[in-house]
Amino acid sequence: MSLQVLVVEDDREIRAMMQACLGVEGYTVQTAVSLSEARALLQHRQPDVVVLDLGLPDGDGLALVQHIRALHALPILIVSARHQEAQKIQALDAGADDYLCKPFAVGELLARMRVALRHRGTALAAAVTSHVLDDLQVDLATRTVVAQGRPLHLTPNEFKLLARLVRSAGRVVTHRQLLSDVWGAEFTEHTHYLRLYMAQLRAKIERDPAEPRHLLTETGVGYRLAAQ
Amino acid sequence: MHPAAAPSPASASTLGPALRSAALGLGLLLLATVCSLALDSQISLTSEAMLYVLAVVLAAYTLEPLPSALCALAAVLAFNFFFVPPRFTFAVDSHEHLIALLTMLVLALVISGLAAQLRRKTESARRSLLRAQQLQELAGELVASTSSDKVVALGQAALDRVFDGPNTLALRRPDGSLDFGLSLGDKLQEGMDCCMREAACLGPGTGRWPGLNAWYLPLGSKEALQGAVCIENVDAADQQGREHALALCSLLGQALQRLQMERAAQASQHEAARQQLQSTFLAAVSHDLRTPLAALLGAASALQTQGDRLGETERSRLLDSIASEAHYLASLTENTLQLVQLTSASHAAQPLQRSWESMEEIVGAVLHRVRLRDSRHRISLRVPKDLPLIEADPVLLAQLLSNLLDNAMQYSPGAIELQVQTREQQMQVSVKDRGEAIAPALQAQIFQPYARGDQSGTRGAGLGLALCRAIASAHGGSLHLRARQGGGNCFTLCLPLSPQQPLAGELP
Repeated sequence: MSLQVLVVEDDREIRAMMQACLGVEGYTVQTAVSLSEARALLQHRQPDVVVLDLGLPDGDGLALVQHIRALHALPILIVSARHQEAQKIQALDAGADDYLCKPFAVGELLARMRVALRHRGTALAAAVTSHVLDDLQVDLATRTVVAQGRPLHLTPNEFKLLARLVRSAGRVVTHRQLLSDVWGAEFTEHTHYLRLYMAQLRAKIERDPAEPRHLLTETGVGYRLAAQ
Repeated sequence: MHPAAAPSPASASTLGPALRSAALGLGLLLLATVCSLALDSQISLTSEAMLYVLAVVLAAYTLEPLPSALCALAAVLAFNFFFVPPRFTFAVDSHEHLIALLTMLVLALVISGLAAQLRRKTESARRSLLRAQQLQELAGELVASTSSDKVVALGQAALDRVFDGPNTLALRRPDGSLDFGLSLGDKLQEGMDCCMREAACLGPGTGRWPGLNAWYLPLGSKEALQGAVCIENVDAADQQGREHALALCSLLGQALQRLQMERAAQASQHEAARQQLQSTFLAAVSHDLRTPLAALLGAASALQTQGDRLGETERSRLLDSIASEAHYLASLTENTLQLVQLTSASHAAQPLQRSWESMEEIVGAVLHRVRLRDSRHRISLRVPKDLPLIEADPVLLAQLLSNLLDNAMQYSPGAIELQVQTREQQMQVSVKDRGEAIAPALQAQIFQPYARGDQSGTRGAGLGLALCRAIASAHGGSLHLRARQGGGNCFTLCLPLSPQQPLAGELP
């Protein structure tokens, strides 16, 4: 049985394009043009992944993120125009899995969906405990990090930061999520911690810290551990 | 109405002058009596009479009409008592002396009347002169004044100098009501409002509302009323005072009207410039949109109508063109939107979303995106270790760097250097290319929206550099262009470093 995708998008062209592209990739696609239609479809049948536009005719997609998170553990991918940056962060903090900027390339959309589906139902599936990509190997259970063939020594906070990114490998994690998970809820405004710790981590892990391969910056939003 | 040059305190003004004029009159009479008594043996009765007449003339010239008449009467009585036989009585023994005394009395009264009239005329001439001077001075000051507040202050001072008042001056607000600085009495506000409505003078002597004890005068002409003036505690008979008040108000009204017209002219000039800018902007944006749209439509329609007959390479070339034109349109849209946001008036109220950022990260993220189009790997990066953090909007800075790199990739065929360094409390980010150097004459122009270096109609980031500069200045920094030695251009972004860094040592 093929995977079900719910596309919530009010623009007809983009909706049709997504339907066509995702269909070619073997997904079964349902579409909704508004929050209310999406809610009705969700009640009827639960999809495997939701692709959601934020600016919808009858409200903000953020409301749907909260609605879905309250009921289901299915992955949500935000697709939105750049000027909604603050909304995007809000949606991610509210539980969306990833985001994509309009205009986007289809290849990027498919890659993000694959990552989101791999993490499907994070709450139910066994927690991610290891990450391997190119010259980086991280094993959370044994707390070992190997980069470029050499085992690394990380400070406790560096390790916590890396571990948080490993658990969401391939997906963007917002500044707020990282700060609150690593340092605590009262540190969510201390973005300079992240800047300094990421610089230290990159210095240890990356071959060229200025052009990172693994620890990617999502400018203005958060960080992403490369998964491919 | 009080004389312009006699600002005496109200309480002393009733008693003081009365005492002074009595003393002066008595003194003059005493002097005449003493002189006449002293010279009694040498001069005749006629000469003594003349001495008294002299005293009366002097008294009449210096005293008010009533005291001077009293003085004349007293002089006749004193002359009668001291000198007319029988002396030291008020009795008169001959008809001749009686007639002489009566003549002297009439003469003294006539002289006193004439002198008082002369004095009034002199006084009035002096006052007119002072008022004319005041009007002249005020006119001079008003010409130099550049704001309504200044005009109001000058007008208030001029009124207070001439009229004991209290005097009130209120300007008309744009909605037509009067702007009373602090709340005034209802009667006063009502009077001034009415004076504005009727655009006419009200109060004693004006023929309208004579029962009031204040003059209400409009400022400015009927067509363009600027405000109103109220002068309280006035006298209906003071014709000259009223005329002077009118003259002052007319001067003030003219000055206010001139300022209003200047403001209107300035506003319309401003509006015209704004519309001009807007239409240039729109024309340029639509021009810049049309070019890629034409390419998109061309490629897409070619695929649509001739797709089957085109070769594989030709089809993929058209598809590439569609993708790159669309990419160009996307960045153009983003730049236009961002520039409008950054330079609009509302931006001042909505400051940048600043946070502590690492330039190394921003540069890395931008390069990550730009490298997708940098297939020949032309961009080389030089970033020193341990750069200080900057307080900035990372999305805007990333856009700035993307624009600079895109430009460099488009206009120069060779290697491109991206370099970050810190120098003298500044962070400098340079993008250097080996393309054709931009002529010095064009260097300032290319930062204007829709000026383009080459002028040849090739496409460019029409407002990319204008946006870059706007982003730099929004961060309190600057963006400069200089020609490189050995050919090429170097764009340098300078950002101020905050003296206080969030301390690494503090990290938990």
